Amino acid sequence: MSGLLSLRNVGKWFGGLSALSDISFDVQSGEIVGVIGPNGAGKTTLFNVVTAVFPPTAGEVVFDGERISGLPPHAITKRGVTRTFQNIRLFSTMTVEENVMVGRHCRTGAGVWRGVLRTREERREEQGIRGKARELLDLVGLSVADRDRAAGSLPYGHQRRLEIARALAAEPRLLLLDEPVAGMNDAETQDVFRLIQRVRALGVTILLIEHDMSLVMKACDRLVVFNFGRKIAEGTPAEIRDNPQVIEAYLGSAGGSDA
Amino acid sequence: MPLEGLNPYHLQVGSFVLINAILGVSIYVTLSTGQLSLGNAGFMSIGAYAAALLSTQHQVPIPVGILAGSLLAGAAGILVGIPSLRLSGVYLAIATLGFGEVLRAVLINWESLTGGAVGIAAIPQMGRVILAWAIDRGFSPGSLGLQSNQFISLTVFLILLLCTILTVAFFLRLSRSRVGRAYAAIRQDERAAEAAGIPITYYKVLAFSQGALLSGFAGALFAHSTSFVSPGDFTYHRAVEILVFAVFGGSEHIFGPAFGAAFLTVLPEALRPISDYRYILYGILLVVMMVFRPQGVIDPALVRRFRRSGGETPA
Repeated sequence: MSGLLSLRNVGKWFGGLSALSDISFDVQSGEIVGVIGPNGAGKTTLFNVVTAVFPPTAGEVVFDGERISGLPPHAITKRGVTRTFQNIRLFSTMTVEENVMVGRHCRTGAGVWRGVLRTREERREEQGIRGKARELLDLVGLSVADRDRAAGSLPYGHQRRLEIARALAAEPRLLLLDEPVAGMNDAETQDVFRLIQRVRALGVTILLIEHDMSLVMKACDRLVVFNFGRKIAEGTPAEIRDNPQVIEAYLGSAGGSDA
Repeated sequence: MPLEGLNPYHLQVGSFVLINAILGVSIYVTLSTGQLSLGNAGFMSIGAYAAALLSTQHQVPIPVGILAGSLLAGAAGILVGIPSLRLSGVYLAIATLGFGEVLRAVLINWESLTGGAVGIAAIPQMGRVILAWAIDRGFSPGSLGLQSNQFISLTVFLILLLCTILTVAFFLRLSRSRVGRAYAAIRQDERAAEAAGIPITYYKVLAFSQGALLSGFAGALFAHSTSFVSPGDFTYHRAVEILVFAVFGGSEHIFGPAFGAAFLTVLPEALRPISDYRYILYGILLVVMMVFRPQGVIDPALVRRFRRSGGETPA
């Protein structure tokens, strides 16, 4: 019973420091799985290992039956795993539309010569890229007026949405969202929640790191809880809410008076 | 006819402007993926020497020699580009500068092939070859109202103009294509670019070797314009000069280094009457630029404004 994504005994050390140890869990196709845990628990490190920002020190990452740990990042994107970043990483002087167009890279093929000669095939491909980019900007709720703005000039919340649009442009089957509502107010958080629902409706499986518990509890089918680089619990939101180990990780001593 | 008044000296300055513009584009292309290469003088020497040797020792036709010289420089770019991937910023600049200097030492010392410090003379000059070819077919430059030397300089200038226009058009189009977007993405944020599915290793080596190929192209054109090359043409000063084209003109739009090359090639000539002071002025100009317009004279915002006011629609 292996899922779309399987982590098998994944470990990551930085020198003598263990950031992840012996992490194993599966994500089934179509699920929204939340990754929660205190700051420094290893959540973003997990994303970085899955997307090959750095390789795992131990274990392996399997996507759709194929071992992807060891592949370069662009190859993992091409196989259908994309992500957003905790601290937004847009191409800030490029336009909003161009940012999403960059995300189409691995689904298109025009090289130097076709690009320079502007062959009919290339023009059709560019049109397709632009059309898809606009479609995705609509999906994430960015307006037509924003298309030609520099990405860096967008308000913060819109930058987060733009990053999601760029990640979707590669037609992922698994989308990794790293704190998509960090720093947002309630109304914006609700918007992102609805966006996550729309993305799921497209058939995209989602792995979500988030500190906003109301969002996590509402949006996720299952949760995986990290603390000090280890997985301490896994289950439905209701199970996790009542798990004493999780409460301890978040609030300190077990059974403490203020828990 | 107005052609009679053509001054071969002005045409020659114009030719150097065009060769330098191609060199300016060569550093721009590599920089457009965020890699600063100071090896372009070295790659230029590869193109120049290859073209010169092919035409003087093997009687290869000039266009074939220029093509071969460019491709050889591009291949050298791949060989230098791959190990250079580990380096970035100033370290890459130092390594590529070192490559250029090593290459120059080879040119000086491999006397049997390169003629050593003296260099290679009597390289067929494009203009003269074309004139001889035309005269064989009963043409006389006098029919255009031109002296022979005017015709020669004009021919060289026009060939270089065509080469420069093609080069700029090629890379302008490339910058607005899928590959150009990949370059821009890598320059802005490598991590985000690879997460977006761009194979950054491939594109960085591609851009590096494109820059090398262009430098080699400029070098081969230089050899067949001046008919003489020596290691002294490809020193550290040349490498820095190419860098200054991009720094002064601007490195974020292809017109920047091309403009920088034109301006900085004409300026010293225009300042000949006060030649004792011209490099002082040159230096002051650069300092002023660094203070008031560090991105260079031409940046994308300026190009956009110019387009809008000109009523031209961007492609």
